[in-house]
Amino acid sequence: MDMKTRVTGEVNVVELSGRFDTNTVPPVAAWLEQVTSTPGARVLVNLASTTFVDSTALAILVQALKRCQQLQGDLFLCGLRRPVYVIFELTRLDKAFNIFVDEEHALRAFSN
Amino acid sequence: MLVALLSSQYPRFAALAESWLALGATAFGIWQEGRPLVYWPAGHRLVKPALVAPIARGDQELGDLRVAGLSGIAYERRLRADAQLISYLLQLENELQLMTADLVTSQDQQLALYRLTHAMRDHVTVDETLEAIVAEAVRMVKAESGYAMFVPGADQEPLLVQQPAGTLHDEQAWRLYWQGQARERELQLPETAGDLKDQGVFNLLHVPIRVRGAVMAGLGLLNRPGGFDAPAIKLTRAIADQASAQIERMLLYQERFHQAKLRTEMELARRVQLELLPRSLPRVPGLDIYANSRPAYQVGGDFFDFICAEGRPFVFSIGDVTGKGLSAALLMTMTRTAIHSKAQFMPCPTPEAVMRQSNEDLYNDFTRVGVFATAFVGQYAPGNQKLTYANAGHSPVIYRPRDGEPMLLRADSTAIGILPVSHCRNQMLRMAPGDLLIVATDGFSEARAPDEELFGVERLLELVEQLHTGDARQIAASLFDATDSFCQGQEQDDDQTLVVIKGAAS
Repeated sequence: MDMKTRVTGEVNVVELSGRFDTNTVPPVAAWLEQVTSTPGARVLVNLASTTFVDSTALAILVQALKRCQQLQGDLFLCGLRRPVYVIFELTRLDKAFNIFVDEEHALRAFSN
Repeated sequence: MLVALLSSQYPRFAALAESWLALGATAFGIWQEGRPLVYWPAGHRLVKPALVAPIARGDQELGDLRVAGLSGIAYERRLRADAQLISYLLQLENELQLMTADLVTSQDQQLALYRLTHAMRDHVTVDETLEAIVAEAVRMVKAESGYAMFVPGADQEPLLVQQPAGTLHDEQAWRLYWQGQARERELQLPETAGDLKDQGVFNLLHVPIRVRGAVMAGLGLLNRPGGFDAPAIKLTRAIADQASAQIERMLLYQERFHQAKLRTEMELARRVQLELLPRSLPRVPGLDIYANSRPAYQVGGDFFDFICAEGRPFVFSIGDVTGKGLSAALLMTMTRTAIHSKAQFMPCPTPEAVMRQSNEDLYNDFTRVGVFATAFVGQYAPGNQKLTYANAGHSPVIYRPRDGEPMLLRADSTAIGILPVSHCRNQMLRMAPGDLLIVATDGFSEARAPDEELFGVERLLELVEQLHTGDARQIAASLFDATDSFCQGQEQDDDQTLVVIKGAAS
């Protein structure tokens, strides 16, 4: 898995490519913990190049989402490929996350 | 020293005197610092001798030999030769004394080092060990004060102990540590260390300590009367070597202790998990039921449960709490208990109601500790061949109607603890003879082969299609066997739990 982070406007963006699973979670978890601990943080996880997400990765995303929301921030997802989206649908996490088709739509939603 | 030699060798000096007297001398004596020490014959003090020869050690004059009544170059040479012989004897005597003193010091130091090793055996923390090293080093090297420090791995705080506390500012001690680390050998009071001198440090010795091949610790001693001479440096190095061995021993002990603690925690978690699982399978008319759970080495938070109460519908649950170890086992207990008590005591315990109420009870606690739990609750009332269920984020759930293909059932709500309000709804499944429901945990779908490939839901669906004719126990056993053979002996990453329910003739 490859992980690229950047800041676009006020939004912390991370792009994850390849498999996002138990083996690749630690650096993503550390980054999410850091950026979501700031009150009002806006975080976008771009999964456009992510091929697979396992339960550990889902747990990390949920923890980050809840931590963000507790501090009046928000965490969005974008660009989910069909196999990854199915995992969110199966576990109904599509109801918990705001999921956008691409980064542009997600960033626009943050600015609204 | 001359007096000591005279005392120990008096008969030989007396014989020397007799030989001079026999040669014709009227008197023979030995003087020191202008006073007679001994003389023959008694009463002749040799105040005005005819011959005098100095007894010396190096440039230092220790005394002289005196003869009266004889003169001439030959006697003078002989007396000088006697004096030189005595000087040589004195020199040997002196060297012998120094060697004896060295031997005694060396024995003392060996004994002290032995005591140091012995004294440090009881210490199990780095702090205690450093305190003991500094105390013993100060005592043995006779310094006024000392310090020791240890820089462990990146995730631990560096340690510094000083005796007495506050002798140096912490940054001064750490500066010496880094200088010692850079040089990898001992250093004495740096000439540029004006601030140390201002603090009353008139001499100092810092010895770097190697731990596991790298400089990770240091020992410093301050203000030794007479300075740090070669024996003091040698002794401090020996103490530093002992400290190195002790720190390595203690690190090994701590690692073993940590591993043992982890093993105990895992064992406890495994026992909590297994003890809480139902000990027998329920007998429900119209259903063939089998369930099993196999904890991983790093126990996860899987559970399954049956609630069979007189006059109430049969309820079963299966779930998976995020995380591993004892914390996951404890949170699993909370989840299982919340679902169990609601299913047992609520007036109308439909799966939807049980799930909604459980989410309400657990949401705040789960949010605080940052976890969530997927859960599946099913309910079956004999007679109507229908199973009602609610699924909070749980996967994989596979249903194979007797006359159709296996299908994955989607959850109807997010897992417990994610949203404050559960959106669970009662769902219905036909459970007539031959219909099959398999609720497993992700330990199956995410089982790994040695090449990291996952077992995946597709393989599960194919297997269910192959196995659907067997009874519940056979299907479960084949699923466990299939994942085992897929993993090829690879250690199980996560718990594997499943409930297999098959419609049967009542």
